[in-house]
Amino acid sequence: MSGDLDLEQRYRRALRLLPRYYRDRWEEDMVATFLDGWLTGDPDEDSVTMEYDRPTREEIISVIGLAARLRLGGPGAPRRYFAWGQAVRNAVLGVMLAHAVWGLGQVALFARSRHLIGWLPPPSGGFWPGLSYATGYAWIVVFAALLLVDYRTARVLALLVVGADAATVLHEQLAGMLVSPFANWAYVALIDLAPVLAMAAFHRDAPPPHRRPWLLALPAWYLLVSVPVLWAELSGHAAWVPDVAGQLCLLVSLVCLFQAARIWSGRPGTGVWSLTLLLLAGVTALYRIISLPIFAQDPHLIMVGLVELLILAATAALVAPDAVRSQAATPAPLGYQELR
Amino acid sequence: MTGQAFFVLTALADGPRHGYGIVREVVELSQGRVKLKIGSLYGVLDRLSADGLIEPDREEAHDGRLRRYYRLTAGGRRALAEEADLRAASAHVVRTRLGLTGPEAAGAAG
Repeated sequence: MSGDLDLEQRYRRALRLLPRYYRDRWEEDMVATFLDGWLTGDPDEDSVTMEYDRPTREEIISVIGLAARLRLGGPGAPRRYFAWGQAVRNAVLGVMLAHAVWGLGQVALFARSRHLIGWLPPPSGGFWPGLSYATGYAWIVVFAALLLVDYRTARVLALLVVGADAATVLHEQLAGMLVSPFANWAYVALIDLAPVLAMAAFHRDAPPPHRRPWLLALPAWYLLVSVPVLWAELSGHAAWVPDVAGQLCLLVSLVCLFQAARIWSGRPGTGVWSLTLLLLAGVTALYRIISLPIFAQDPHLIMVGLVELLILAATAALVAPDAVRSQAATPAPLGYQELR
Repeated sequence: MTGQAFFVLTALADGPRHGYGIVREVVELSQGRVKLKIGSLYGVLDRLSADGLIEPDREEAHDGRLRRYYRLTAGGRRALAEEADLRAASAHVVRTRLGLTGPEAAGAAG
């Protein structure tokens, strides 16, 4: 027998992706329906089918899609899954906001270099700089598409941008322009691709995001963080500006501190945001660790990177207990308990 | 209402069906355009059940496994009728805009 499992067992193994509460209710029915589609009633033929056939890729993908929708639930899902769903959606929006701020910087730099105010002409200066400008603009559109609940556009465009970023890193690596190619690939994987895959949390059951605060955050972040950083770089103080991973560490730490103050002040409903920040802190810490080899020639900068990590870990620890509590404390949507 | 939910409710309109019966009926109703995978089917059934549009009818043993049958509730029948009216009205508007209604269009088609 191939792999010592028969067709039914292979399908049941795939169904383990689904939350337990859902399997308790639907698993036997799903297995019966699945096997009805394979078995003919002829004992010999069915025996061969059970022994050698496997669930099709499309069947497995449909189970993965269902699992993502259930585990990153919307209103109507059990509290734990709703909290995770909201936290992942917020975290994705947070990363897309960071990309959009970078895109806004690209727009501003381009406008400045062309002495333009207002409408921008198509970028020039060769293929790769042009691609960089284009991806910057595209991230702004991805962010806007998510806020406008046009999830399909956001996903397709974001995947194209990730492809363009990966092509750029490959080009720079082959041209010998990168100090630590691993760090650049880590950026593509953790900050580009992972949030795009996590856009699976934006399914049809997900509540639409609150547009206003996210839209306000875009110019606020640009003016309060990007402009001072740009000013420091242009005025000869570049040594004081942390690298991208360092900036992200400090920014997430700052928001964690703000969140901790909200928790201590007894504000209700902080849990989902604490979980969001914990997710963002995890991704940022991973990126900081992976990108440390950039400073291999400078022990002082390695030390700075480790301090950034320490600050991030300490501030994330402040919100962690609230994040854990959130999985039980997120209000259950009305009527859910009666339905299940 | 999504296209899949519409077809699933339609498949149950003339009587209870089990999971695979719904899959086959949807293929027939949609003339092969909609082929529900099991994960998609049970996502739809779960949502329709939570919305009170379908409910379990009975269970029957078949080859050592239980087949669960589902049926429309009164609310499900009402929702399906409303959705059918809505889709018919939309289709009518489209056909009118395309000049595909009335005796002239029928004559041209003939």
